[in-house]
Amino acid sequence: MRGILKSMYITMSAMLRKPVTINYPSYHREVPQRDRGLPILLWDKEVDEPFCTGCHACERACPVECMTVTMKDNPLHADEKSTRRKIIDEFWIDYGRCMRCNICVEVCNFEAIAMNNTWAGHELSTFDRNDLVLDLDQLLAQHKQEKIDEWVAD
Amino acid sequence: MVQEQQIDTVDINVNMGPQHPSTHGVFRMVLTIDGERVIDVEPHIGYMHRGAEKLSETMDYRAAIGYQDRTDYLTQFMNEQAYCMAVEKLLELEVPERAEYIRVILCELNRISSHFMFLGAFGIDLGHFGTSFTYGFREREHIQDIFEETTGERMMYGYFRPGGLVWDVPDNFVQRVREVLPKSLQGLRDIDMLMTENEIVAARSRGIGIMSAEDAINWGLSGPMLRAAGVPWDLRKDKPYSIYDRFEYDVPVGRHGDVFDRYLVRIEEVRQSIRIVEQALDQLPDGPIMPEKMPRRLRGPEGEVYAAVEGARGEYGIYLVSKGGDKPYRLKMRSPSFCNLSALREMTVGNYVADAVAILGSIDIVLCCVDR
Amino acid sequence: MLTLTYDVGNIWLDALLGVLAIVGLMTVGTLALIWLERKVSARIQMRLGPMHVGPYGLLQTLADAVKLIGKEDIRPRNADRWIFELAPFAVFVPVFVALVALPFTRDWAVSFLDLGVFFVVAVTGLSFVGFLMAGWASDNKYALLGGLRAAAQLISYEVPLVLSLIAVSMIVGSLSLSEIVIYQGRVPLFVWQPLAFFIFFVAALAELERQPFDIPTAESEVVGGPFIEYSGIRWSMFFLASYTGLIVYSMLGALVFLGGWDWPLGRELGLWWQLVLIVAKTGFLILLFMWIRFAMPRLRIDQLMSYCWKVLIPLAFLQIFLNGLVLVYDWPDIMLLITSGAGLLLAGYVIDRAVRVEPRTLRLVPAGRRAKPAPAGAESGGT
Repeated sequence: MRGILKSMYITMSAMLRKPVTINYPSYHREVPQRDRGLPILLWDKEVDEPFCTGCHACERACPVECMTVTMKDNPLHADEKSTRRKIIDEFWIDYGRCMRCNICVEVCNFEAIAMNNTWAGHELSTFDRNDLVLDLDQLLAQHKQEKIDEWVAD
Repeated sequence: MVQEQQIDTVDINVNMGPQHPSTHGVFRMVLTIDGERVIDVEPHIGYMHRGAEKLSETMDYRAAIGYQDRTDYLTQFMNEQAYCMAVEKLLELEVPERAEYIRVILCELNRISSHFMFLGAFGIDLGHFGTSFTYGFREREHIQDIFEETTGERMMYGYFRPGGLVWDVPDNFVQRVREVLPKSLQGLRDIDMLMTENEIVAARSRGIGIMSAEDAINWGLSGPMLRAAGVPWDLRKDKPYSIYDRFEYDVPVGRHGDVFDRYLVRIEEVRQSIRIVEQALDQLPDGPIMPEKMPRRLRGPEGEVYAAVEGARGEYGIYLVSKGGDKPYRLKMRSPSFCNLSALREMTVGNYVADAVAILGSIDIVLCCVDR
Repeated sequence: MLTLTYDVGNIWLDALLGVLAIVGLMTVGTLALIWLERKVSARIQMRLGPMHVGPYGLLQTLADAVKLIGKEDIRPRNADRWIFELAPFAVFVPVFVALVALPFTRDWAVSFLDLGVFFVVAVTGLSFVGFLMAGWASDNKYALLGGLRAAAQLISYEVPLVLSLIAVSMIVGSLSLSEIVIYQGRVPLFVWQPLAFFIFFVAALAELERQPFDIPTAESEVVGGPFIEYSGIRWSMFFLASYTGLIVYSMLGALVFLGGWDWPLGRELGLWWQLVLIVAKTGFLILLFMWIRFAMPRLRIDQLMSYCWKVLIPLAFLQIFLNGLVLVYDWPDIMLLITSGAGLLLAGYVIDRAVRVEPRTLRLVPAGRRAKPAPAGAESGGT
């Protein structure tokens, strides 16, 4: 009997405390700075081109093989505006496959890829699975619009 | 005179799972029941098999970290630690002091969060309408916030690396952990008051699913299951790995080996883990988090190693065979859930259907870890 | 005899109005109760509960109801068609009919029956047939288990429920619910009959299949029991029946034990005050049911049965016997309280002794020292 009364007491006292949940789609909790959403590419604002040179390092290191990268000669290098000889041509990431392990960020030699640390990196529901395969423009858009808080590891 | 009449009865097979709310994932057991009594259990596993061992053999030592998290998704740090310890043993890497301490802190926090998950789910198995579950999850959430601030992920951390850690912890890490520990104790008190002395819980969980110490050893059980059976076997104490020999803590050991003892052992383990974390926080040194001479590409020599940690469910071991190169030749995971689950039939037969659920809950299986 | 609001003269129209009133009460009450239960459970679990549809999620259950009505009504191929499809009604009609005999205020009721208590208990006792039908016809082993559990539980707990009500009507000398309420003008019956109230409460909890007695529908064992194969509107009828049952038993408790619409404000109350009183008392019992639901785990079927037959029924007989003594020897009313209170204390003591468990301790293998093997254990060294 005493134990049952104790359970009744603790449920009642919990009832008088403040709820710990928030009303999710209306409110978002703050994500921490290190939050690892899904990978995006960064935009070099000084030269006005992506940091990525298409070196395939991330593609090789990716454990789930969710990336496809192609490389081309950099036209800006010919104009001597950029120091990058090669530049990314096409870049696809299949967000449906990515397992957010952060390995692509670690292996990148140019710090050209980062994990999205905003809510946009989490809310990804789409009606078509193919919409989760993002191309270069979509991957760059987040950083181009300065929507992400830059936290590049190391 | 009333004539005695023979009534023909039929035992029925009830297929519990793989889609059943209390099988903790996609476990399936075929119960043969006579009325409400279980007379036979046939477990079926393999619905979650993804070939994690094989996948880990196809990629280099670093990339396979991601797959270690995904075996036992409630004790990710411990799996990572077992894997990293195996690789470090193979490659003879020296882990810096600070990295070891951070690993211990995170592992013990992870044990706390995993046990909170158990306490919540155990309540549901006994029939609590979600109350214990939400209490457990509330406390888990505080700890998970720390993990998220530290590693960036909420579930699949991928934070340990052979040799050390990916990044150092954030500056306010120590302070944040110190904030959370009293909260965890408070949450533990809530669950304790809700369930430990409740007579209905006692009626439902005492004296069922008894496992004697001898049986437990013969079945190869480990972790809280073994300790509840009365065997004080804890890898942290008996085969000290990492830096566990520097801390002072007790190993709770049960006296009866029934479902209730397993629950009590886990409650006490949360308290002991909090003790370890407090000591580790006090001793946390400064310094690097990766060895200075870290090879850029990890290439193992030929050989085989076995490294095991005391996970929240028991001995989680990684057996690694290398034939040179940057990939393991064979990687075998010794999963505690799988070994503990093997004793299910022994414990369940002869009990009621409702007890079968409670016993399965008390094993605290993670199906991803069973099927790998 | 007064009927609902005023006499319209035509007997058919009158009946129709009565049924409409009951249906309205039932649906509105159920919608409100589901919302309330979700909110109460949310607060007990420190959550917010439904917040999206309407202010504070008030319209959430309405949205759910619309969704349920729009869903496909699935019938398993092997199900026994007619029994399967009629089972929801067999559960639903008894509680619906029971509501007919419950007086809401002194002047408001669909029908004032002289055998009100008897009628309510008799018809609600029929609902187990529906559970059995649903369990048997679904051709599902979980449903079968759940249906049989429901039958065993509902029949068993009917007995202490009826006995506790008999004890009350012995004192009042009437089976009419209005008479019982009028009898409690000054002192409600839960004061005179605490033991009967306790038995009634526990038995009602079991009849409603709420925790800790939700064994027939046990979510974690038989996954909803008899309801497992139902979907859409038929499933929602089970739900409707369960929540209407909650209203019926709470209102029955409020009328019989808590003094109905009279106590404690006296006889000469206006209609609205009577309504306020009855709603408050019913609501109190409903909240108590809900609170218990979220604080307790579930009993096992054998424990449930032994609790009924070994504890509640003997106690109910004890209550009847004590009341008989008081009535035969014409002792003053206070003796009712004394005897029944003593009975309740005895019950509390007996139950406490029966279920008391020794607090268990663990052996803590001391800090800093290497663990030693247990005396019972064999070799614990090695791997």
